[in-house]
Amino acid sequence: MTVNLSVATSSDGAGLRASPVLLRPFARLSRVGWSLGSVIGGFALWEIASRFLIANKLFLAAPSQIVMAIVALFERGQLMRHIAASASEFVLGYLAASVAGILIGILLANSTVAKQVLQPWISGLYATPTIALAPLFILWLGIGISSKVVMVVTLVVFPVIINTEAGLRTTPNELVEMVRCFGASRRQVFLRVALPSALPFIFAGLKLGIGRGLIGVVVAELFGSRAGVGQIISQAADAFNMPQLFAGVIILAVAGVGLTAAFGWLEGRLLHWKD
Amino acid sequence: MVEVVPKLVVDGLTKRFASTEALSRIDTEVKAGEFISIVGPSGCGKTTFLRIVSGLEQATTGEIRLDGAAVTRPGSDRGFVFQQDNLLPWLTIMDNAMIGPEIGGFASPERRRATQALLKLVGLEGFERHYPRQLSGGMRQRVNLARALAIDPEILLMDEPFSALDAQTREIMQTELLRIWEEGRKTVLFVTHQIDEAVFLSDRVFVFARRPGRLQEIIDIDLPRPRPLSIKRTPAFIALVDRIWTLIEHEVRASVMEELA
Repeated sequence: MTVNLSVATSSDGAGLRASPVLLRPFARLSRVGWSLGSVIGGFALWEIASRFLIANKLFLAAPSQIVMAIVALFERGQLMRHIAASASEFVLGYLAASVAGILIGILLANSTVAKQVLQPWISGLYATPTIALAPLFILWLGIGISSKVVMVVTLVVFPVIINTEAGLRTTPNELVEMVRCFGASRRQVFLRVALPSALPFIFAGLKLGIGRGLIGVVVAELFGSRAGVGQIISQAADAFNMPQLFAGVIILAVAGVGLTAAFGWLEGRLLHWKD
Repeated sequence: MVEVVPKLVVDGLTKRFASTEALSRIDTEVKAGEFISIVGPSGCGKTTFLRIVSGLEQATTGEIRLDGAAVTRPGSDRGFVFQQDNLLPWLTIMDNAMIGPEIGGFASPERRRATQALLKLVGLEGFERHYPRQLSGGMRQRVNLARALAIDPEILLMDEPFSALDAQTREIMQTELLRIWEEGRKTVLFVTHQIDEAVFLSDRVFVFARRPGRLQEIIDIDLPRPRPLSIKRTPAFIALVDRIWTLIEHEVRASVMEELA
């Protein structure tokens, strides 16, 4: 027993010693440290490149210039107006698509007929780059908010439908049998077993929808809008104003990262029972 | 002493799946407070029998009567303890144990307190707010048992509940089950493939045979209670295990050979 223990300890020690001497100081940095360093380093390289290598304002903007552009937009009172326009388009479309997607997913999982009727359309439209319909929606619905909302719904609803249905279909049979044994009705089986066990799938679909929804907002705005982050970008592009163009892109990136992180937090709270 | 009125009556029960006869005409009775184990080779229909009693499966002909009423579907007069614990991973241990009363619509505060006491009885006091993934296999099977008891059933149906546990945990769980059973003396039907487990726990052992599945013989276990684990080493215990094993050895061999083929 003692012998075994000491062997185990010494082999552990050997494992530690085997790590490359050169990398050891860096091993102290946590993963967050590495990621943060990577981002800061990347921006530093970008700054250097745009100041000394491609010092052409019509071609590339430095991060410092982008920050200035954002501040300038904010001071002119335009930034919040554009962000508010895009945000309301995104939120309306995303919420509508989430509710509709979950309901349609539930319908498909519970009705064979509905599944057979709708499945070809859903599969087909999910595989189609429906973003190409943006000009059409603007022709139909005008350059106001409704064309953007419809674009977001079109992009977000399909992954939500497909994931909801898949999650409901993979309900563990033995859990269904367990609640049936306690006399559960169809409704109770659905509410107490099928729906909770499908939640991780539904969340995955909603998460996919965030990126797709943001793309929908911006692309629809590029094709024609009164306000929005997409409009910042298209106006900047028309005026060859690179700092402002990048400002729009950075705002989108921050929105995407922020929404995904917030979603991850929510997921952790609601699905804490998972491993 | 146990009452004379039968708790459970099995009356001409047969079960057919397509062309195969899973259970062939079973007639028997179980008295209130009796602990019955069902053993037999795989494919003898012992689990099917238990599922028909639970109402999860329907008999092809004949019927099962619990306290005189024919069983047609699952109900809160029967508590089922599953082979796999089948706990809902998103519910706490307390909420898992309360799932029966919740579904049945009788989850009163008194019932919650009673369930709390049951969790204590099965040795899980202090784990009420834990989640299933935080518990070991043995502890999860204790929840499985408490969940079945939480509806205060007339009869407890147990389908090889200890088969997924390691040998030592299983022995402990057997003594624990007897201790808990002594508290309330529920009527129990306990399906197992472990003959020594059946002898250790039961008042009577139903030995099932296969092709077709049928009740071959009933063995009375007249060992005194309470039974310590050491009883498993007494000649009387070993003789009973040996007798049952002799009854089913031929069929078990046949079923093993079939699985190999």
